[in-house]
Amino acid sequence: MSEYALFLGCTTPTKAVQYELASRWVCRHLEINLVDIKDFFCCGINHVNLDRETALLMAAANLAYAEAKGLDILTLCAACTGALSEAIEKLENFQIRERVNEKLHRIGIEYKGKVRVKHLSRVLYEDIGVERLRRSIKRDLSQLKVAPHYGCHYLKPKTALRGVDEPDNPTTLHALISAIGATPVEYETLNLCCGGKVFPVSGELAHSLIQKKLDNLKEKEVDAMVLQCQTCYLMYGEEQKEIEGKSGKKYNLPVIFYPQLLGVALGADPIKDLGFNFHTISVDGLLSKVR
Amino acid sequence: MDKKELFSQPISNVNFDPTFEAEVIAHEEAKDLKACFNCGACTAGCPIHEVFPEYDPKKLAKMVRLGMRKEVLSSPYIWYCATCHNCEQRCPQNVKFFNVLNVLKNMAAKEGYAPSVWVDQIKHVIKTGIIFPPQESWIKRREKLSLPPLRLEEREEIKKIIELEEIDRLSKDKSE
Repeated sequence: MSEYALFLGCTTPTKAVQYELASRWVCRHLEINLVDIKDFFCCGINHVNLDRETALLMAAANLAYAEAKGLDILTLCAACTGALSEAIEKLENFQIRERVNEKLHRIGIEYKGKVRVKHLSRVLYEDIGVERLRRSIKRDLSQLKVAPHYGCHYLKPKTALRGVDEPDNPTTLHALISAIGATPVEYETLNLCCGGKVFPVSGELAHSLIQKKLDNLKEKEVDAMVLQCQTCYLMYGEEQKEIEGKSGKKYNLPVIFYPQLLGVALGADPIKDLGFNFHTISVDGLLSKVR
Repeated sequence: MDKKELFSQPISNVNFDPTFEAEVIAHEEAKDLKACFNCGACTAGCPIHEVFPEYDPKKLAKMVRLGMRKEVLSSPYIWYCATCHNCEQRCPQNVKFFNVLNVLKNMAAKEGYAPSVWVDQIKHVIKTGIIFPPQESWIKRREKLSLPPLRLEEREEIKKIIELEEIDRLSKDKSE
C-alpha cells in the first residue's frame, strides 16, 4: 500500500468538494492511504504576484510539514502541484535552501529537501498503472466520448514537473480515460489554458479563453469534459452558464473530474461516493450511458 | 475592456529610466532577460495575447530594456498573465518570462499598483490559512459529508513567514 500526505489546497475543500469526495473514495478503493495533515495551508501560488519570497516560504513550510511526517505529498489541484514542485526545484539550490530555512526556523521548522509531490492523476498513472485500472473496472463506459483537459500547472514548468508528461503533446490523461473504457476525443484546443489565474483580475479575459474551448467541444459533440484541477472545473463548469447568458449560445457540457469517472467505472455510488449532485450542469445524460 | 492608450501612442524617450533594466535583471529570476532577442515566440504562444492583443510579452520585455519604468510598472496589463507558462516553454533563449513578469509585479506592488484582489487573498490567508474568507455553508457541507473539518484559524506561524510589509499600501484600488 502506498501512503501520501493529502494536500487539499484552498479551493477543492471549499468550492469543489465533489473532487475531494471522489478522490478519497478512489484512493480508498485502490489502497492509496491518504494522511490528512492539519498544519497544511495555502501553497502560496497566487502570492508570487505580490512577493516571490513569501510565496516560496509558504510552499517550503508545507513541504517541511510533510517531511516531518516522513511523507511525500499527493495533490489534487494542478496549481498546488506546480507551486510545490517549483519550490522543490528552487530549494535544491543549497544557498536558497539555507536562506529559506533560516526564516523557517522562526516558526520552528526546517525543509531538508526530501519531499516529492505527485498529483493524484500521476499517482494513478505511475503507481497504480493503466493495466491495474483496466482490470479493476466493474461498469461499461464504452458509450462515453469525453474531452480530456490537463491543466497548465499539471504539465508546466516542465523542469519542475519532471517527466509527468509532454506539455505540448500530453497523453497520460488520455491513457487513464481509455484504460477505464471511455473514449478520449482529440480536439484542437486541448492545450488551451482555462484562464483561472486571470479570472480574479479580469473575468472577461477568462471568459474569452473558456468560450474558445467550449465552442471547439460543441463541434465535437462530447458527453463531458474530464479534468483534474478544481480551478479548471470552476471555469468550465461553473462559469459556463454565465457565458451562455452573455453569448446566447447553449453548451450544456457536463464537466467532471477524472476520479469521478474512475469511481463510476469502479462501481461507486455516483451521489454518495462521488458527489455528482454538486454539479450545476446535469450529468444525468452522461450517467445514463453507463451500463 | 478599458484599452489604455499607453501602448499605442508614441512616447518620447526623454523620460526613460536608463537604470530600470539593470534594476530588473538584478533579481535572480529575471536575469535571463539579458538573453532575449525579441523574436516574439512568447507572444505567439500566449493565449491571452490571442484574445487581447494589447497584452504582449515581447513588447513588455522590450519596454523593460528601453527603461520605460513608469509605463511598465503602472500598466494594468502586467497583471493579465494567465500563468500558463507557454512563453517559457516556447522561448528559444530559455528566458522564463513568467518569472520576469513576477519580478515586475512585485516591484509594481511596492509602488501600490497591485490589483486589490491579490491583496485581499493574502489577508485571507493570514486570517484563515486559505485564500478565502470562511463561509458557514462550507463548514456545514463538510460536516454533512463526514469530511475532516478545515482549520480556518489565524495562525502565528503563517503570519511570521509572510514578509509583506504594509499590506494595505500594495494596492491603490478599493478593497473588497
